[in-house]
Order: sequence, then C-alpha cells, then structure tokens
Amino acid sequence: MKLPPYPLIDLDLAAPFDQHRTTVLPEWIDWNGHMNVGFYVVAFDKATDTLCNQFGCSWEYTREKVGMTFVLEAHVTYDREVKEGDPLRITSQILDHDAKRLHFIHCMYHGTEGYLAATNELMLMNIDYETRRSAPWPAWAMERLDKMAAAHKKLPVPQQAGRLIGIKRKK
Amino acid sequence: MLDSLPYELPELVTRAPLDTHRSTVLPEWVDWNGHMNVAFYVTAFDQASGAFMRNMGLGRRYVDGKLGMTFVLETHVTYDREMREGAPMRFTTQLLARDAKRVHLFHEMFHGGQGYLAATNETIVMNIDYATRRAAPWPAPVAVRLEELWQTHKDLPRPAKAGRVMGLSKK
Repeated sequence: MKLPPYPLIDLDLAAPFDQHRTTVLPEWIDWNGHMNVGFYVVAFDKATDTLCNQFGCSWEYTREKVGMTFVLEAHVTYDREVKEGDPLRITSQILDHDAKRLHFIHCMYHGTEGYLAATNELMLMNIDYETRRSAPWPAWAMERLDKMAAAHKKLPVPQQAGRLIGIKRKK
Repeated sequence: MLDSLPYELPELVTRAPLDTHRSTVLPEWVDWNGHMNVAFYVTAFDQASGAFMRNMGLGRRYVDGKLGMTFVLETHVTYDREMREGAPMRFTTQLLARDAKRVHLFHEMFHGGQGYLAATNETIVMNIDYATRRAAPWPAPVAVRLEELWQTHKDLPRPAKAGRVMGLSKK
C-alpha cells in the first residue's frame, strides 16, 4: 500500500520525539499511594500510540482494518514515584528498526518538577490485520520511520536501554 | 529491621517453582486489538508478585499496619502469545536471587485451559520502610522464609527467557 486510506499528520523530526503529555488519574493509584506499576505501562502504551501516529500506524490503522502493532517485549525501570494528578511528559527515542519491527525507548518525566519517573524500552512488531501475523511496515510508514530513525541517530543511547535485570552485588 | 510482624503468617509454600496464583483476563483489560493490553499483563504479573509476597508474610496487613511496602524497581516482559477476554491464567514463580532488601523473581503466565505460554515477567522487588519510603531490609521472619524458599528454588534451571537484553538480531 503506497498511501493509507486516511490522512497522515505532519511528521515531527524533533529528537527525541516530545509530544505526549498526560496526567496521573485517580484510578491509577494503588494502596501504596502512588501510580501502580501496571499504569505506568498504560501511560507508556498511550505514548506508543502517539509515536505510531507519526508514521500512520495508530488508531486509524486498526480502525480501518489495515493493520495492528503488537508489543513483543517490554522493559520498565521505575525510577521515582508519581502521585495522583501529577502531570507527565513522555519522550520517545527510536533505537533501531527493520522491515517489521521497531525498537525504541520512552522516558517519563514529571511535567513540572522535571525528574525522570520511569523508562520503557519496547520492541514493537507490525501485524497484518487479517492473519494477525507479522508483516512488513507499509511503505508510507517505512519512509517515515527511516526519517525519524535518522533524526534520532545522533542522540546518545539512554543508560536504561539494553539493561539486563539482576541484583548487583556490592564488592 | 523489623524483628517480628504483629500478625500470624500463612503456612509457607516452598514448592519449586511456586504454582498457586490464578487469575482471569477481565473485560477492562482488553484493548482495541481485541486482546489483553500490554499494560494489563504487567498488572496481572504484579498480582502474581503480590501472591509471592503474601506467601512471604507481606500481604495487605503489612501496608495497612503501616509497617512497610514493596516497590517494583524494574520489570521485563516477553509477550509470547495473545490472551482474550475471560481467558483463565495460571502463573508459576521462581525465585532467581535474593539479598537483604530485594528479590529477583521470574513469573510465567500460561493459558489456564490450553496450557500455552502467554508471557513471562522478570522483576526486581524491593522492601520499603513505611515512614521513610526508602529501601529497608526484609523483616526478620520474612528473611527466614526467603531463605527457606531459596533452598528449594536455587537448583531450578535458569529460565531461557530470564536475563534478556532487547535488540534486533540482524540476520
């Protein structure tokens, strides 16, 4: 498919991509009085939608039954607590991509205090709507992914990317 | 460190791996792709971590009694197969490592009826002092129980999906 059956938005080549904003909802709070681990991922997943909308693979992509994107793998670091009503700013950096997949990392910051609250490294795969199996990115998406990846290439790789989980023993 | 806990602890289960937690995919966990959303796998796994902590003696009474809390520091999920609304889930949990304040856990989520592996979750959970909201050693009786569990889990083979670093392996 050369073009999607819906308009594409203007491509934003800021590095990192820095459009997604949200607020910690009351129902995201757990008995520890802070945002629950699952809802960090809810917030990050919505940032993934905002990112995918840049290359035409977000809401309309699935609504128009063209395709879907599935997460294969996710790594979250919980760096600092956020509380009910806190504003959140989420940036996204493309680390790598191929014909079917996208490897990227989101960083979540407190919107006014600025501290890093969490990171989410993700591997996303393009999915054919009919077969629900992996498929190459549509041409329009690949063209935009190439441009975004080129713009993000100059960024340093965040230290939270490529992490191995473990208990580090002190010498 | 707390020398004791002011409530009766449940009988310790030391099966290797632990295999007691069960759950069901709730309607509100399903997204526009018609399957359990990535974030709610994390919620479901967090509840499995909760079951692990209850077995250690750190259930709701630990928090409600303002004694302490447990915080997730980091989590890594592999999404292996889709789960639909109402699907029964069975979880197994292996203790990979522990120290004075932390545990390193590995959960596997299986479809309860069909038996297939749906996802895995490797996670680090830390004990937190209620008043300071900072890391603190496990309460003494919990440390004893952790050691007892470690004795049955230390010789389990290391799961193949533990210790993953994300990346596109170029063919």
